[in-house]
Amino acid sequence: MTEPYDLAVLGGGSAGYVAALRGAQLGARAVLIERARVGGTCLNIGCIPTKALTTSTELLRRARRAHEFGLAISTAAPDLPALMEYKQGAVDALVGGVEHLLSKAGVTLLRGTGHLASPTTLQVQRDTGAAISVSAHQLILAPGSITARPPIPGLDLPGVISSTEALDISDVPARLVVVGGGAIGLEFACIYEALGSRVTILEMLPTLLPGATDEGLAQRLALLLRRRGMRIVTGAQVDEIVSSGSGLAATYRDTKGARSRIEGDRILAALGRWPNTEGLGLAEVGVKLNGRAIDVDEHLATSVPNVWAIGDAVGGMMLAHKAMVDGRVAAENACGGRRTVDYRSVPKVIFTRPEVASVGLTETQARQQGADLKVAQFPFSANPRARLLGEMDGLVKLVCEAESGVVLGVHLMGPHATDLIAEGALAVQLGATADDLAWTTHAHPTLPEALLEAALGFRNATLHFQTR
Amino acid sequence: MPSYLETTVDKFIFKVATDRHYSPAGVWALAEGDRIRIGMTDFLQQLNGDVAFAEVRPEGTVLGTGDEVALIETIKTNVGVPSPVGGTVAEVNPAMELSPEAINQDPYGAGWLALIDARDWPTDRDALLDAQAYFELMTGQAAEEAKKR
Repeated sequence: MTEPYDLAVLGGGSAGYVAALRGAQLGARAVLIERARVGGTCLNIGCIPTKALTTSTELLRRARRAHEFGLAISTAAPDLPALMEYKQGAVDALVGGVEHLLSKAGVTLLRGTGHLASPTTLQVQRDTGAAISVSAHQLILAPGSITARPPIPGLDLPGVISSTEALDISDVPARLVVVGGGAIGLEFACIYEALGSRVTILEMLPTLLPGATDEGLAQRLALLLRRRGMRIVTGAQVDEIVSSGSGLAATYRDTKGARSRIEGDRILAALGRWPNTEGLGLAEVGVKLNGRAIDVDEHLATSVPNVWAIGDAVGGMMLAHKAMVDGRVAAENACGGRRTVDYRSVPKVIFTRPEVASVGLTETQARQQGADLKVAQFPFSANPRARLLGEMDGLVKLVCEAESGVVLGVHLMGPHATDLIAEGALAVQLGATADDLAWTTHAHPTLPEALLEAALGFRNATLHFQTR
Repeated sequence: MPSYLETTVDKFIFKVATDRHYSPAGVWALAEGDRIRIGMTDFLQQLNGDVAFAEVRPEGTVLGTGDEVALIETIKTNVGVPSPVGGTVAEVNPAMELSPEAINQDPYGAGWLALIDARDWPTDRDALLDAQAYFELMTGQAAEEAKKR
C-alpha cells in the first residue's frame, strides 16, 4: 500500500484521461488505471479508426469523380493492407500522444484491471500478475461502454461482426447487412458501400438515426442513400440470424408483424453500446446504478461521497466529446470545485455521406416543449462552395423561437456538416439569435455561408435562394 | 402520346399537351375515368430548374381545390404545387421518391405527381383553362420571365 493519491481515475478513455490531465493541471497527484491502451473506445476502436476509413473512402469516391473536376485519374482503387496500415498508424500516433501528455503532466499510468475495494481504494490486477491496492482521496470512475449484445439468436455465428471487427478489413463482402440504423451502422454502411459492398440496413425504429438528429434530415438522408442503391428497411425488428448457403440471413418482422429475410455475406450488428459497469464492485461499495448506468447528479457525483463517474458509463449521450466535458467537470469537482454539467451544446455528428450533424433541440422536441417556433432552412445546392466541391446534397435547418429568434437547434446535412456544427454549438451555448448569425459576416465563398443564409430566412430575407 | 402546342421564347422551347386542362399556376389535370392525374407543366418545371426532391402529400390526404398537393425542391427554389382539383389523393407517383428528375425529363408523362379522386370534377374543370388558353397565358408568362433575365 502506497501513500494515497489525491485522485485515482479508473479507465483511460476520453473521459478518464481528460479527468486525469485536468486533475493534474489543478495540482492533484493523480493516477490513471487502464487495462488496455489509453484512449479507450474512441481512440482505439471507435471515432478515430472509423474516421480513418471514412477519410480514405471519401478520397476514393472523389478520385473516381476526378473527371468532374477536370482531372484525369485513371484508376482509383482501395489497397486494403495499406488502408489498415494508415488507420493503425493514426491510432498509434494518437495513443502515443495521449501517453506523452499524461507523462508530461505527471500522471502515473498504471496498467491493469481495477475494481472498487472500498470507497477510497481500487484493487488493481496488474498485467504482470501482481495485484496492488491503490488508495485515493477522490475516485473518478470512467469504465466506458461495451458493445451491446441484445438476445438475438445467431449473433455469435461466424460472419456476424461487431463494429470493432468491422474496422479490420481484409476483404470486402459482396453483400453486407447492417443491423441497426444509428450512427455506427450508417458510417460503416457508407464505408463498405464505397469499398464495393451492396449494403442493406435494417432499423427497428421508423426512421434512421433515431435520437441523433432531426427526423426530417434523417428521412432525407435515407432517401439519398436509397438513391445510391442502398436498401433501407425501417420498422424492422430482427429476431434471428441464421446460416444460409455460403452466407448468412437475417430474419425480421415488419411493423405489421410480417416476416421477411435478407441475405448477406457478412452481417454487422450495430446495436448500440451499454455502460460497462459489471464486475467493478460498484454495488458492493454502495454506488447506485440506474439500469446499467452509474447514477450521477448534475455535478457527476455518485451516491458515494468522493466517488465520481463520467463518460459512457453514466449513460445518456455516448459521445467522446461529451465524455471529455464530463472528465473536466468531475476533475474540477474532485479538486474542490462546484461545476455543473451543461449538455445544451453537445453536438451529435455522423460521418456518413453526406455528413449529418445536430445540436440543440430538434423541431419535434422544441414543439413538444411548447415553444412557438420558426424554422428556417437553406439548401447546400445554393451554396457556391458546395457546388465547387460537387457536394450539393443537403441543407441547413435552424429551429428558432418564433418571437425572439433565439436559436434552439441547428441541424445540418451536407459537406463538412460535422465541422460546420461548431458554429451551431456556439450559437446554442450563447443563446444567440438568428439575427446574430445573420449579422455575423461569413467569408465568401465558404460552406458556413449556408448558415448565414438560413439565418436570413428567419426574417424571410434569404438572398441566394428564391423563396416565393 | 398527346400532341403538343409549342412555342420558343428566348431560345427555350415550351410545350403544352393538348389533351388536358390547366390551372393558371401551371399545373395540369387529365381525367382518367373518375380519377384526375395531375402534374407540373413544361413551363413550370423549366422555370424552377432541376428537381432534387418532390414531396407529394400522401395517399388519403383530402384536398380542397388550390390546396398544396406537393412541395418541389429544385436547385433554385422550393415550389408549392396547388392542386387544380379538389378531392382525395388516391395514388402518388412512386418515381417521385427516388427519381423525381422525371418531372424535368417528362413533365406530361412519367413526371406526373398524383392521381386524385375528384370530389366535383365538372366544376373544377370549368374553372380551369383548356390547352389553347393556357398556351396563350404561358407564352405571355414566358416572355415576362425572359425580360427578367
